[in-house]
Amino acid sequence: MLLWFLPAFLVFLMIGMPVFFGLLAAPGILLVLDGQERNLATLYRNVYTGMDSFPLMALPFFMLAGELMNRGGITLRLVEFSQAVMGHLRGGLAHVNILSSILFAGLSGSAVADTSALGSTLIPAMEKNGYSRRFAAAVTAASSVIGPIIPPSGIMIIYAYVMGESVAALFLAGIVPGVMVGLGLMAMVRLMADRYDLPKAERIVNRGQTVSPVENLIARILARINFIGLLWGAHVLTASAMGIEETPVIPVLVVMAAITEGFFRFMRTRMSEDVRVVWKRAVVPLQTPIIILGGILVGVFTPTEASVVAVAYAILISFFILRSMKLRDLPAIFMKSALGSSTVLLLVGAAVAFKTVVALSHAPESLAAFILSLSDNPLTLLFLINILLFVVGMFLDAGPAIIILGPILGPIFTDIGVHPVHFAIIMSVNLTVGLATPPMGLVLFVASGVSGERVESISKAILPFLAVEVLVIFLITYIPAISLTVPRLTGFIQ
Amino acid sequence: MILLQALVRLLSAVNAAVLTVGRQLAWIALAIMVIVILAQIFFRYVLGDALAWSEELARFFMLWMTGLIAPSAYRWGGFVAIDMLPQALPARLAATLNLALLSVAMMVLVVAIQLGWSDVFGFGGRFATASLKLPLSLVGGEDLVVRRAWMMASLLVCMILMTAVNVELVLRSLIRLIDPNSTIAAVPESAMLAGAD
Repeated sequence: MLLWFLPAFLVFLMIGMPVFFGLLAAPGILLVLDGQERNLATLYRNVYTGMDSFPLMALPFFMLAGELMNRGGITLRLVEFSQAVMGHLRGGLAHVNILSSILFAGLSGSAVADTSALGSTLIPAMEKNGYSRRFAAAVTAASSVIGPIIPPSGIMIIYAYVMGESVAALFLAGIVPGVMVGLGLMAMVRLMADRYDLPKAERIVNRGQTVSPVENLIARILARINFIGLLWGAHVLTASAMGIEETPVIPVLVVMAAITEGFFRFMRTRMSEDVRVVWKRAVVPLQTPIIILGGILVGVFTPTEASVVAVAYAILISFFILRSMKLRDLPAIFMKSALGSSTVLLLVGAAVAFKTVVALSHAPESLAAFILSLSDNPLTLLFLINILLFVVGMFLDAGPAIIILGPILGPIFTDIGVHPVHFAIIMSVNLTVGLATPPMGLVLFVASGVSGERVESISKAILPFLAVEVLVIFLITYIPAISLTVPRLTGFIQ
Repeated sequence: MILLQALVRLLSAVNAAVLTVGRQLAWIALAIMVIVILAQIFFRYVLGDALAWSEELARFFMLWMTGLIAPSAYRWGGFVAIDMLPQALPARLAATLNLALLSVAMMVLVVAIQLGWSDVFGFGGRFATASLKLPLSLVGGEDLVVRRAWMMASLLVCMILMTAVNVELVLRSLIRLIDPNSTIAAVPESAMLAGAD
């Protein structure tokens, strides 16, 4: 009897029941029919305990940080920066859209936020530049899935919470796959640029912008520190690769500072004043991912603390550097984030409850036995599971899908030798791409709302980009090093 | 029909008013969470003194934030659902289906309220939370231990508010069943909604 949990839930889902109620009604009704009313209390209590978690608190905080940065005008600065870097290429604004998504992904963990924030500026700009509206909407939707792959990531916070993995390890493992999706999409734009003669764009949209003297100073110092940091990272990696244990610190730093200063002076002569201003204006916002990842990497913050530091940083720069926000703007921003995260938290609670009761039914064991009976080759199984996840992702949002399927599928694959973090990335990336797949991709609807284009026509225009993303999913699946190298190098996994 | 419309207007006004208060409290709860966790970091690194109660206090407010604002999201249609089928059906049929779905939701909510009620006022709620106390000793009284029931009440309140919203949605759906073109049938939309994935 209880084996019917999953089918009953799917039926509820398909006829239009909100996921939250479907997750509770399906097991609830079956429990009553099965004469196990007392387990209803377990169901209810798990909704509560499922939400009562400190690591989960990173979800509302990262949402709030993203909302603050968007309202504070940081998004616009990132778009202008991306345009100064890639706007002059053929298919310029499509590239700009993708690069902005990569940068925005480092500030926010949500594909929906990415689509609505970047779409509202870039889709009109692309239309004006000669792109069709549905192409512009499709690029926006396709590139927004990078948001939850590159850290911070709401989906990975949920995965880590449900599966007991380290959020930090998942965050680090997502960096390379996220950048790969971005580069893949850019390659596709490059191909299409030849075929459809996509237009170039100006590198600078608003000429004659200025930076305040204070921000100018801060940006110059921070940019140099970032560059030295890069050099230092390369230095440490080379040293450890060559087997050198200790290197002198001060002399190396002095040399690096000299190289940095030389590099900046050289670049100064190569860039116009307008381009320099746009770069400088991006420096302060782009410290956010460095603070989040740096803090987690060094072990100063837990991910939840890093998320709240991101909130504080966003408020700080919006008030004092960008001066784009007033105290009276804050309640509405906080309220919007609370509203968005409350539905997610309730969903997490309901999905945890669903999972607990489903576990009583031994359905996971039978499903696992079924999957293992299909093949004993991990590679074949991974292929099949990707197809399953892709189909699930077409209909179900990534969060609930992970909570329901993660605990069933995760242990199967860990048992046959797939690294848990590797499997987490396969699952997260696959289901994230599912957010942009027709017919029920959430970001398609958001892109449609932002652009005014019909979901059906965006769905058609997005197909070539989805093909790229599917290719990346398979690369990630069959080359574990793509996800595991960064967390390994930083010592977060064995 | 006229009675039904009057009832919807009344309930809608009550819900709108109550949920407005809920939203105000919810954003304040979120702001308190931010401050508490920032204080936690500050105390640990700057003052070298880790706070014992900060995480639990922040969780307390997170649960209440969710409980107080999620009903607003429900009322505005912010609960994710696949609405392909309802949209494909003719108006009357869609309204019937919608009514059926709302009845199932109503069932879930009523059972949840019963269970939540016995949880909050039952045995488990009487236990103290791990670390939370109202420091009344600062004003000369005796410290008041925060009970688990105070935290668990957040979900109960959430379910009660959502039930009120659900009743409103059922009535609106009934009106749509009788007259698909009625202007009163839909909840006024809000621009506040945003997704999370």
